[in-house]
Amino acid sequence: MSDLIKENEILEQIKAAFQVEGKVSSERRTEVFADKTQVSSILLLAKNQYGFKHLNHIACIDWIEENKFELVYILYNHKTGLTLLVHTKIDRENPEMENIDTIWDQANTYEREMREMYGIEFPGLVGAKEFILEDWEDTPPMRRDFDTLNYATNTYFHQAGREDAQDVRTTISTRSGEEIPDFAKKYSRDK
Amino acid sequence: MSREKETTLYIGPQHPGITGNMMVKVKVKGDTVTKASVEVGYLHRAFEKLIERRNWLQSFTILCRFCVPEPDPMELTYARAVEQLEGRIVPERGQYIRTMVMEMARLQSFMLWYAGQSGSAGLYTLGQWSVGDRDYILNLFEDLTGGRVYHMYIWPGGVRRDLPKGFKDKALRVMDYLEKRLDEYDKLLFDNTIFQKRAQGVGVIPKEKAIDWGVVGAPLRGCGIKHDVRIDEPYEVYDKLDFIVPTHEGGDVWSRAQVRRIEARQSISIIRQVLEKMPEGEYYNKIPNPMKWSIPAGQAWAKTESVRGEVGFYVVSDGSEKPRRVHVKGAAYTNGVSVTEKILVGQNIADVSFILNSMGVCPPEIER
Repeated sequence: MSDLIKENEILEQIKAAFQVEGKVSSERRTEVFADKTQVSSILLLAKNQYGFKHLNHIACIDWIEENKFELVYILYNHKTGLTLLVHTKIDRENPEMENIDTIWDQANTYEREMREMYGIEFPGLVGAKEFILEDWEDTPPMRRDFDTLNYATNTYFHQAGREDAQDVRTTISTRSGEEIPDFAKKYSRDK
Repeated sequence: MSREKETTLYIGPQHPGITGNMMVKVKVKGDTVTKASVEVGYLHRAFEKLIERRNWLQSFTILCRFCVPEPDPMELTYARAVEQLEGRIVPERGQYIRTMVMEMARLQSFMLWYAGQSGSAGLYTLGQWSVGDRDYILNLFEDLTGGRVYHMYIWPGGVRRDLPKGFKDKALRVMDYLEKRLDEYDKLLFDNTIFQKRAQGVGVIPKEKAIDWGVVGAPLRGCGIKHDVRIDEPYEVYDKLDFIVPTHEGGDVWSRAQVRRIEARQSISIIRQVLEKMPEGEYYNKIPNPMKWSIPAGQAWAKTESVRGEVGFYVVSDGSEKPRRVHVKGAAYTNGVSVTEKILVGQNIADVSFILNSMGVCPPEIER
């Protein structure tokens, strides 16, 4: 690990400041696991002190077995080329997380999407409730307990003539009353 | 002038300036935009959700549809994330082929950009040319992968097939042709006074804000900041190749166009180098039966550089035969929403689609 000096330094400094768990997962990559109350302070410190000026993304994972959501803040330092991943877990019931769009403007977009797709609330988040979906009142769709198949079966209906394993030529000929021309018959499924 | 009322105008969702459906709601006073908000939701097909319901390999049919103009970076980024989780090593020839595919994808995407950028300035001739020339690259893709637009060619462990017979000669011929054509394009676009006047000083991203705003790709390099995943965190064989990452001061549409102009030529040079240096040998580290293929539990973050900027995949495995979560961060997600909303303010309404195109906005990447 001797060649990972920079990565270890960042880890040690954050560990010392916040008493959090962490590891150097690979070259140029440091990960810390923090409590949700510490996240914004860590991000602010990383941005202003350690030069992680670029917020790459906020990823969200639904750990339904543990009844938790995991949020991963991915930061990048353009000067050193290091990546910092800040993990935190929040409760799945009435999930709430600190809003960080005061630190990075673009976090607003990511948080709006998470509010919509996972139902996580970010107090103080400005922006329309709807981002991608429209008039959505069901379970937030990216949660693991949202049943896609069930939703599709209940919401969308079968169009007559669109059933599976049907020969489209037969359907057209019954509908129009015209016979199937000879040249089309040789492609028929019955043959 | 003070009596001018503020009017709301909807630009899109069917929009000539960008590939995909997206609406920009602008408030205008006279001809000047005073507020812009990006509204998406016309293309949402729940790709990320669908991926969770499929096994590790079946996702590839969805991945390439994240961004139609340039599907290969998505495949590569996902494949690299899966390889990171599994610890699978790609044979050297596979890495070379992947690099070539990526640069071919970049090159054909540049051609589409030429068409969009010139078309939104009213210069339609170049669009006809570059889209026509793009077909030569698509022909190469067809020879190589069987598909013209969607390839599903890059897999975890390498690529699916080796180069077909005579591919190298054909590819080199196409590169020679395209290099000559790029000079013609320059005459039509960059030497054109209309384009110069319209592009300079329009849609400016301030350099000191660029990183903070999360700008990536050519718009960032157009601000004079040298950042390219291919150099900063080299993947595949980019560290063995000789190429430059251009930057340009200014941060406007003109700078972004200049950056792309040089990058297109660099892509040709990279493809030539790759074809020259490509070793013989295995191209694919075969995976086990894909229907019973489980990946060790873990989380991986992989990045690649596309024409629009860096593409990142956060892939999570719980040790099962299906991905637990695949979170996609396309370049357009930030460039096309929060950054665009900021830089459109104060611009002329005629420049909106012009700026959108220079930012490389790709709506399906935003909605996924």
